[in-house]
Amino acid sequence: MQVIKDLLAQLPFATIEQKEKEYTVTVPKEKLRETATLLYNNTQLPFDYLADIVGMDYGDELGVIYFLSPSRYPSYVLILKTSTADREHPQIDSVHDLWNSAGLYEREVYDFLGIVFCGHPDMRRLFLRQDWKGYPLRKDYDANPELNPVPLSNEDLDDMENMPATVIDINGERIKNHTKLFEEEEYVVNFGPQHPATHGVLHLRVSLDGETIKKVDPNFGYIHRGIEKMSEAYTYPQILHLTDRLDYLSGTINRHATCLCVEKGLELEVPERAHYIRTIIDELTRIASHLLGWGCMAMDMGSITAFVYGMRDREKIMDIFEETCGGRLMANYSVIGGVMQDIHPNFQQRVKDFIPYMRKMLKEYHLLFTGNPIARGRMDNIGYLSQAHAISLGATGPTGRASGWSNDVRKIEPYAAYRHADFKEMLRTDGLTFDRYIIRLDEIEESLKIIEQLIDNIPGGAYAAKTKAIIKLPEGEYRQRVEAARGEFDVYINSRGDKYPYRIKFRSPCMTLVNTLAHIAPGTKVADLIMLGGSLDYVVPCIDR
Amino acid sequence: MFHFEVVTQWIDEFLRTYLTDVWALLIEYVLIGVVILGVYAVLALVLIWLERKICAFFQCRLGPTRVGPLGLLQSVADMVKILLKELIKIDRVDPFLFRLAAFMVIIASICTFGAIPFDKGLLVIDFNIGVFYLLAVSSLGVVGILMAGWASNNKYTMIGAMRSGAQLISYELSCGLAMMTIVMLSGSLQLSEIVEQQAYAWNLWRGGIPAIIAFVIYLIAGHAETNRGPFDLPEAESELTAGYHTEYSGIQFGFFYLAEYLNMFIIAAIATTLFLGGWQPLYIPGWDAFNSTMAFIPPVMWFFAKAFACVLLSLWVRWTMPRLRIDQLLNLEWKILMPLALINILLMALWVIYL
Amino acid sequence: MNYIKNILLGIWHLMQGMYITMLNFIRPKVTECYPENRGKVEPLGAMRGELVMFHNENNQHRCTACGICQMNCPNGTIQIHSKTVILEPAGEDGTPAKTKKVLDKYIYDLGSCTFCSICTISCPQNAIEWSKNFEHATFTSPKLLNQLNHDGSSLMEKQK
Repeated sequence: MQVIKDLLAQLPFATIEQKEKEYTVTVPKEKLRETATLLYNNTQLPFDYLADIVGMDYGDELGVIYFLSPSRYPSYVLILKTSTADREHPQIDSVHDLWNSAGLYEREVYDFLGIVFCGHPDMRRLFLRQDWKGYPLRKDYDANPELNPVPLSNEDLDDMENMPATVIDINGERIKNHTKLFEEEEYVVNFGPQHPATHGVLHLRVSLDGETIKKVDPNFGYIHRGIEKMSEAYTYPQILHLTDRLDYLSGTINRHATCLCVEKGLELEVPERAHYIRTIIDELTRIASHLLGWGCMAMDMGSITAFVYGMRDREKIMDIFEETCGGRLMANYSVIGGVMQDIHPNFQQRVKDFIPYMRKMLKEYHLLFTGNPIARGRMDNIGYLSQAHAISLGATGPTGRASGWSNDVRKIEPYAAYRHADFKEMLRTDGLTFDRYIIRLDEIEESLKIIEQLIDNIPGGAYAAKTKAIIKLPEGEYRQRVEAARGEFDVYINSRGDKYPYRIKFRSPCMTLVNTLAHIAPGTKVADLIMLGGSLDYVVPCIDR
Repeated sequence: MFHFEVVTQWIDEFLRTYLTDVWALLIEYVLIGVVILGVYAVLALVLIWLERKICAFFQCRLGPTRVGPLGLLQSVADMVKILLKELIKIDRVDPFLFRLAAFMVIIASICTFGAIPFDKGLLVIDFNIGVFYLLAVSSLGVVGILMAGWASNNKYTMIGAMRSGAQLISYELSCGLAMMTIVMLSGSLQLSEIVEQQAYAWNLWRGGIPAIIAFVIYLIAGHAETNRGPFDLPEAESELTAGYHTEYSGIQFGFFYLAEYLNMFIIAAIATTLFLGGWQPLYIPGWDAFNSTMAFIPPVMWFFAKAFACVLLSLWVRWTMPRLRIDQLLNLEWKILMPLALINILLMALWVIYL
Repeated sequence: MNYIKNILLGIWHLMQGMYITMLNFIRPKVTECYPENRGKVEPLGAMRGELVMFHNENNQHRCTACGICQMNCPNGTIQIHSKTVILEPAGEDGTPAKTKKVLDKYIYDLGSCTFCSICTISCPQNAIEWSKNFEHATFTSPKLLNQLNHDGSSLMEKQK
């Protein structure tokens, strides 16, 4: 695009490569701030969506990769790279004030690679304990268990609340300082890690003024399994079984994304039949996930009956999965080159039976809950998220679409069989809790339409392409975006031609959603915090990875 | 019509023939205490089973099926479990208030329970200010809840107790006003008198539109007073884990649990007494054969049938609706129910004077 | 007027919700009593219960102890113990003995299996497969360690 070229021409110090709609821009770390400001603040085409920040250990240098997109043309991706040779005290300028989503991403990079972001006010570790020794994703990390024994005591509260930061003062000097998360006299309540409404082991530290929320501080890492670190020692087929366990409610979609990414690298031709089957399974997963999301949100608001109805209807999908894929929650269905086994003979009939049933049940849901004046009273006029804020926070998926941000990857970059289906991207404009609620039910309806169009047209032929026994990805970087149930799920693989990835990074749509919660919850009531969590519908294992 | 009066009077005469008055009274007191506690516990068990079964049916589930046929003995098993459980000593609580709170809640509930006229002569004491007594004693429970929330030294319980205090005190008002409407209609505060008056027409019909409005207000406000259904903010399990009784265990928790279920029944029983004719059978003027058949059913059965119908309604509401937020809860009370109840009292006054 | 209309509309919507719950009250229930329905409900289709090794009626399996499944397993769930049998003893004229690697024990640790199915799809002989048995509960974890090849079983002859 000419605008992007013009824009990049203003950066004489940058090395620029272009591959179709992907622009890779490498800048020295001193110029990062300048580049980022230009990309964010220009008037022609602001790159206002920061999809992800990936920390890299190149061996000799430590690097950071920013994935930027203009929200008006989300199919264009600008990959901004920078690196530092200082492995002892690596420092890179923070961009958290430009993109809200960078706040947590930079903490994650610091946690795993030890890169300190100057100007970021809160350089606590994000997933690991504050007293963890070493930075696990560095290639020279010492994994000796004696260095980091299993802790037998609680994490020190001072560690958790003390926010170290490196800031640049007026004279340009880099100084270290500390700020306290909460004031001494604040009434701080822990929601989680064990709490009925945090949808997993999420820990929210909430400062209250009576019933009104003043500040929310999410604390992650209670279910951190180090999937990205583990994957570096796994072959590509083995990695797949971990992807189901990221966001377990859209497991098949995550797995699909990883398969697509590896196939992209191998330039493997996947049979059309596999594409169709994968797409149908993905949409079924999306329905199941939204049903659970709907039910959980209703349960968060105190309507347990609605939750049970959601679970009851989700069970039908789980039965379809059990029959065809073999697993219920962990379907383990896609493999590199296709799907694991052919669909069960009953599959099409079952899906066709399910579609009218689900439509009937959706009507009941609307009667039971959508119209309920208590529910409407709770959801209307609460939790406003503006479109610009949603983009800045990187709140993709139904949350962003409820704010009017068109971000459906199925439309932006149609993958698998989505180009054969005729469907609408559900968009609403108000960005209120009710919009986030209703958009999920609308998306179920839309997913049913996609399935309806595809189910009778599954082409014949092989269900999987033949692959080599040992899959080695050619050297290079590969990235695949898909639309998971909660938002954009990205897989980034950096391969050095080995059978193991050099670095693999999954973009978690849920982490930005929790960040969104922390931004929109202040000012609402305790009951609203829980409901907003339900409306954003995050899944904690996806955040923690 | 068979009334329990006969039985109680016979016991009284029997005791007095053999003992002096003092001893006879003493034995009667003990007897009454035992019976009240027994009925209280049995009713609670029945209600717990009923709630679990009905809630399951609303949710397309089977509910308890393991202990006894249809899981009938489930709540007995639960009771045994709760009696055997350890009372966990919690660090840094106020031990006196912490223990007292559970008793406060259950004593308030039992005291209210004693004054309900199940049948002619089947009530512990027939105050001439019965309605006033009910209001006074039932509002004691909130003290227990506040105490529990405060003494537990836990932020969830604290928020729960504060919500509970705000909620109970507000809803007590419209609850009382709705009861006053009926008092105006009956011209008496005595419960037995109120029931007697409804022999030929329940207050719900007798009082016309104001009585129906009062009934609806009473059901909503009463439901809110039991901390259940859309009004379960003090417990709000998805927000405050278990609200004011988060820290309780064993039989202390059991007390809260029992009181919660019995309060549900007590609200239904008061609604029955004041609006649905208490133990009076259904009477339709002109249908003599029908009326005599209805009168054949024992009054106690009538009372429980009506009360359980109200309980069923409250369960149905509870398992359908989501929870209100605290400001909406107070809005509902102070902006809708209270003004409505006040206007309704005026209406009832006009009704009583002119009709 | 609007105020009263809103209240009435609200009550109407509440009634609709209560109609739905009552509808479900009288519908047949979806949950089942589990141990009682044993035998009536089968796990469906490709359900992955636990790994088993196919044996024919002569107590023969297809596993050649090649070790591909063990290598592919991400969790170290499978351990293959092979032994070497001598088919023909070493000839007196110096020809080396004809030996063959055969399966001795195929140990499968159900406790660490994640049911990813890489072993079954990578097996060149189709020797292992999934059974639908899902009742895995044991009191101690060593009981989850299963030997998949039956005692005294041997390699199936290749059908010609």
